Amino acid sequence: MAKNDLQGTLDLLVLKTLSQTGKLHGYGIVVHIQRASDDLLSVEEGSLYPALHRMEQSGLIASEWALTETNRKAKYYRLCPAGKKQLLEAEKNFEHLVKGVRAILRYA
Amino acid sequence: MSWVRRIANLFSREDVDREIDAELRAHIEMRIEDNLAAGMTKEEARRDALVRFGSRSATKEKVAGIDAALALESLWLDLRFALRQLVRSPGFTVTVIITLALAIGANTAIFSIVNALMLKSLPYPHPERMGAIFARITGGDPFNGRTWIDGSQWEALRDNVPSLVAAVSGGTAAGVNLQAGQRVQYLHAGRISAHYFDVLGIRPAAGRNFTETEDRSHGPKSAIVSYGLWRTTFGADRDLVGQSILLKGEPYTVVGVLPEGSTPPLNADIYTALQPSRDGEGGGTNFEVITRLKDGANWQQADAELNRAWATWAAGRNDRHTGSHVTYYSVPLKQGQAAQLRPKALALMLAAGLILFIACANLAGLTLVRMARRTPEMATRLALGASRWQIERQLWVENLVLAMVSGLAAVGVGYAALRGLLSLLPVGFLPVASVPLEGRVLGFTLLVAVLTSVLFGMLPAYAARKVDLRSSMASRSVSGGDRLHLLQALIAGEVALTVVLLAGAGLLIRTLVHLQTLPPGFNAAGVMTAKASLDDARYHDPAVFNRLLASSILAMKRIPGVSNAAVGLTLPYERALNDSVAMHDGPQAGQDVQTNVVYVTPGYFDTLQIPLLQGRDFNGADGPSTQPVALVNRTFAEKFLPGTNPVGRTLSKNLMVVGVVGDIQLSSGLNPVAPLQNEETIYMPAAGESSNAQRRARLVSAQLDCAHCWTGGGVEG
Repeated sequence: MAKNDLQGTLDLLVLKTLSQTGKLHGYGIVVHIQRASDDLLSVEEGSLYPALHRMEQSGLIASEWALTETNRKAKYYRLCPAGKKQLLEAEKNFEHLVKGVRAILRYA
Repeated sequence: MSWVRRIANLFSREDVDREIDAELRAHIEMRIEDNLAAGMTKEEARRDALVRFGSRSATKEKVAGIDAALALESLWLDLRFALRQLVRSPGFTVTVIITLALAIGANTAIFSIVNALMLKSLPYPHPERMGAIFARITGGDPFNGRTWIDGSQWEALRDNVPSLVAAVSGGTAAGVNLQAGQRVQYLHAGRISAHYFDVLGIRPAAGRNFTETEDRSHGPKSAIVSYGLWRTTFGADRDLVGQSILLKGEPYTVVGVLPEGSTPPLNADIYTALQPSRDGEGGGTNFEVITRLKDGANWQQADAELNRAWATWAAGRNDRHTGSHVTYYSVPLKQGQAAQLRPKALALMLAAGLILFIACANLAGLTLVRMARRTPEMATRLALGASRWQIERQLWVENLVLAMVSGLAAVGVGYAALRGLLSLLPVGFLPVASVPLEGRVLGFTLLVAVLTSVLFGMLPAYAARKVDLRSSMASRSVSGGDRLHLLQALIAGEVALTVVLLAGAGLLIRTLVHLQTLPPGFNAAGVMTAKASLDDARYHDPAVFNRLLASSILAMKRIPGVSNAAVGLTLPYERALNDSVAMHDGPQAGQDVQTNVVYVTPGYFDTLQIPLLQGRDFNGADGPSTQPVALVNRTFAEKFLPGTNPVGRTLSKNLMVVGVVGDIQLSSGLNPVAPLQNEETIYMPAAGESSNAQRRARLVSAQLDCAHCWTGGGVEG
């Protein structure tokens, strides 16, 4: 049984976003997830930062301060090797979850 | 190093907070910019950004909370891993825990004694203002220690040292007979001067302390009762104060009851006024002093007054320390009480510390060997990306878990060891009421446990740093030169330490065995003893006293199986009376010499099988109306009458030596009078004492011991 919870899903979204974009700040992650999901998903901004902090402290992602295109200082995050491994794991778990939930929905 | 960072985060809270704050602000600003770009008004853009984000401070707190949770979680993981590792090698774990529990337990037990003796403050108000008087004698016969004083010295101290409240007590508590109503009881009475309880800061729960009138010679006879005696014998009688009780056959008025839990240095059931005088008991240094500094005075001042007062006192009499210089000084009472035991306690502490060291060295060796077996596991973890710090941390956590579990077990071991140790010590050996296993002792145990984990974990952790990934993975065995050196150094150190300890322990044990098996000078097999207090008004009449001795010895002899019975003022191993006799022969001719004096009945030497070396034993004819006679022991004969036949010599006025007996040990334990050396002793007939009123008073003021010798089987246990 894979570990599945909402927090895991948020982690998956963040990790995937970072793997697709290289490095990005918190606001950028929110915007990216919304845009890439065609406005279907919107991350609650208040819970994004605790998740980012936790993943950073666990060594999944790393951060540095850099300037945005509009010359604003922001904290940019990028994936660490451990994060890449965690992403593969989380993707697999998510597939399992989706498959499992779908099977239950189709059960007659 | 995320673990370190998390812990660091917990401590550098402010920096972390500021960074989180900056990040959250940047987020909101960026949202506002985008909103403006999307065509909102400034006001709308701002409100939208804030609404989407929710409470900024709540978010900040949530982010910060992550750190604490993560740190705890990772520590928990390490702990669980450590426990799993330890459970997997139960032999190792149990060995370590037992070794450490014993070693730390021994330290805990000894430390609680050191704590009670030296660290814990006395249970009296302002203990720092309480003192004992020490004398430092230089030149002649050097001495540095607590001084006991005589009656005239006490008067000088009491009257001419205004900075101190001083009090004296007479020796140890002695057995007396109490008669209260229908009840008769044998209990211990302490004799104290007025102000004794004032010095201790003990206020009677009922009544009052002794007054100076009561403390004068021939003053009114009054008594202060301990709380325990008041509860048991007197049934917590609220009207006890003012009542009359019969103590030593004489009426005493109860003037006070001590409060619950009071523990005076002289611990007794009942106290009577010392009534110190210049002669008799006060003619010798028989008083122990305690002092309390008066308000506004300091110790320098008190010591100066003390030296002045006693210099005047010494000038008024023949100074006993001619050619030597005496200075007196006050030391804190705590230190004064423990002075004799201090070196013993510290030596024990040192020994216990050495045992702990050896245990640590042994365990370090054991852990190192275990490490060697775990090298492949560590190499694998390293290869999988674990940092060296993570591996080391794991080792430390394991050691700490071991040390903590051992520490817990050690508290139990220490408690048991302490009880055992205290039960071995004679009653009243330690000058403290109790030796508790209190907070400070537990703190010490915890500290020692942590210290041991560092001591025995240091080398393995160092070795872990040296694990070479390639060779360890390839060969799966250890043959590192470095490790070998380490092991060798460890073994060498361990052996060296062990040799020191073994030699010390061997010497100690051999010495003890030797001292234990030294002949005590008498045969204790089959001897039973009993004690009764004859310090009683009923026995002040010599005829009654002699009748009591004769009839009780006869009664004892009539018991089936008893072959012999006798009575003596003191028995072997007991402190004897001290008195001076004038010498007419030998090297000390013309001088008075100090000697132990024991009053005995005929048959005392037969009963204890003390050999009669020369002359004759006492017989029934020796008594008040005949020539006064005495027996001397071998040491007395060799010291004061060397090269001559002591029998027939005269001591003092007309005391004739009629025989010489063997030496016996006068004291238990190790001290100047036993068991390696002996002191001069003379024996005198108990019955003959009625002729000398003063001596008789002293004779009956102590206890008489009866010794009966059981022969044959059956009765004796």
